[in-house]
Amino acid sequence: MKILKLPKANFNKFLLGLNNYGEVHIPKKKSEETYVFAPMEDPSEVALEYLRTVIPPKKYFFKPKEALFKHSDGKNFIEHIEDVNKKLILFGLHPCDIHGLKILDIVFGTGYIDKYYFARRKNTLIIGLSCMPDEKCFCRSMGTDATEDGFDLFLSELKNSYLVTVGSSQGDDITNDMKDLLTEITRKDTNEYLKIRNERKKRFTLQLDISDLPYILELQRESEVWEDLGKKCLCCGSCSMVCPTCSCFNIYDKLSLDTKQTERVRQWDSCLFKDYAVVAGGHNFRANRADRVRNRYYHKQHGFVTQFGKPSCTGCGRCIQYCPTQIHVVEVFNKVRGED
Amino acid sequence: MNKKPKIGIFGLTSCAGDQLAILNCEDELITIADAFDILDWEMAKTNNDKVTELDIAFVEGVVAQTRDLEALQAIRKRSKLLVAIGTCAVWGGVAAMKNQIPREILKKEVYGEEINVVDAVEALPVRSFVKTDILLPGCPIEKEQFLQIAASLLHGDLPELLNFSVCSECKMRENPCLVVEKGEVCCGALTVSGCNARCPSHNIPCGGCHGPIEEVHYDANYTMFEQRGITKEEIQNKMANFATPAWMGQKLISEIK
Ligand code: SF4
Ligand code: SF4
Ligand code: SF4
Ligand code: SF4
Repeated sequence: MKILKLPKANFNKFLLGLNNYGEVHIPKKKSEETYVFAPMEDPSEVALEYLRTVIPPKKYFFKPKEALFKHSDGKNFIEHIEDVNKKLILFGLHPCDIHGLKILDIVFGTGYIDKYYFARRKNTLIIGLSCMPDEKCFCRSMGTDATEDGFDLFLSELKNSYLVTVGSSQGDDITNDMKDLLTEITRKDTNEYLKIRNERKKRFTLQLDISDLPYILELQRESEVWEDLGKKCLCCGSCSMVCPTCSCFNIYDKLSLDTKQTERVRQWDSCLFKDYAVVAGGHNFRANRADRVRNRYYHKQHGFVTQFGKPSCTGCGRCIQYCPTQIHVVEVFNKVRGED
Repeated sequence: MNKKPKIGIFGLTSCAGDQLAILNCEDELITIADAFDILDWEMAKTNNDKVTELDIAFVEGVVAQTRDLEALQAIRKRSKLLVAIGTCAVWGGVAAMKNQIPREILKKEVYGEEINVVDAVEALPVRSFVKTDILLPGCPIEKEQFLQIAASLLHGDLPELLNFSVCSECKMRENPCLVVEKGEVCCGALTVSGCNARCPSHNIPCGGCHGPIEEVHYDANYTMFEQRGITKEEIQNKMANFATPAWMGQKLISEIK
């Protein structure tokens, strides 16, 4: 592991320099509380204070809506992978979102390899950025508050500089190309880093105890918590859309009037939607709202844990921020634990 | 379908906006006219055939007069498939917005005591009277959705319209949530998608013009706004406009005596 230092005076030059490696996307401010990842037109647009974007970086690899293949002669399908040759630099991912991608890598890479996802994933450089949590962050409880891999470069903010951790050979190439902007780290930097790190640790106010959560969930399948939640949830799907690990999709054919051109489209879906679990013949396995809400929570903290040994929640707080009716994932699990 | 499907496009009491939306498919109109045999479309052509059996009828509007019902029944009788187009035809829409007020009162208010020639009945959607095979809400309908339905029917297929909320589309477009950030009454959670969250994308709360999703959670929608200090009346005034008959059916709005 190589760690260098980028003085803040050189930061804009560094961002501009990234343009040499592909299309740079950065966090930008959209409204008072809203941030999005979007293409960088000017380094001054970067919203370094941001904590969470509406949609996580999953949108670059698993697109909200895309044609998987097309046919134009009424017979043969032509495979179609959007942005397959586009080099992308994603700047500013916090550790939780890097973990989000690591979870999606498992989802889309286990058993059947999703080539659409990986075609774009492998053409993307990830540059991480440190953060200070707010009252909706509980990544520390999920073990996603720091990361040793999953990035090409990672920037940890100090007062007047960033520590730049190199996480891949491509990241190393960038630091070599930009060596004029970088310096060696000193003891003082290390001490400053430790101070900030310890301060950050204290700033986490939201906690979720996941030690025996799958076990408790198994026991609590019939808990009234789920009925109550079903009474409150609108099944609007916002929490699924904004979740870095929600990855369900629907597939349908888009036809044309000349009856020859067809597209097979994949579009984000959610287990909260009424018709999600409808099968041929019309039976709905999760016709009740309460069952659908429970399913989302069980998938994050029970199903995924049993299958892959860790939860598929990164503690990013997006579902807390964007639920219009203020359903709070940590409060829900605390109730299930009987701890509210 | 091998032969060109015979179709008719009709308007009951309505603003003709959905028929206009079809006419606005400028680039595709010739293809539509080529692919379908348009026998009956008062708004767009002369020499309309009023008797031949139709493969598909597209019907816009509500039944708000006795003659609407007669026209609708005649259309249903001569058509194999009936597609209700527009929120009026599917949910009652704007025309049914004041259904809680009896027609007698409204007639007097609008036309005065003397005039009593207006044949007005409670405004109700097409599907309250006849079997509908496909429902395409929208005020007006979305061109893209109409073309999808037309294309599916040409393939001999029944179209599948997505049935999730405007909120999901709103989040896919990464809009700030107007409920969360501004405490406004937004109909996104109970309204069916299709418009790509047009209004919230322009910073205006969704007014619900596409009508409700398959399973509206009325109670939870009330709770969401009541917990932000908004009254039941205000919530109803903002949310029930395009589907008043459904809200009345749920006994959430009652008739004014
Ligand atoms: S469940 Fe909520 S907190 Fe967890 S990863 Fe998804 S959006 Fe973030
Ligand atoms: S965002 Fe809230 S109301 Fe909407 S589906 Fe999720 S939990 Fe339910
Ligand atoms: S602004 Fe309206 S449509 Fe968008 S997420 Fe919020 S409630 Fe839903
Ligand atoms: S956002 Fe709501 S009111 Fe606006 S067009 Fe869409 S459904 Fe209609």
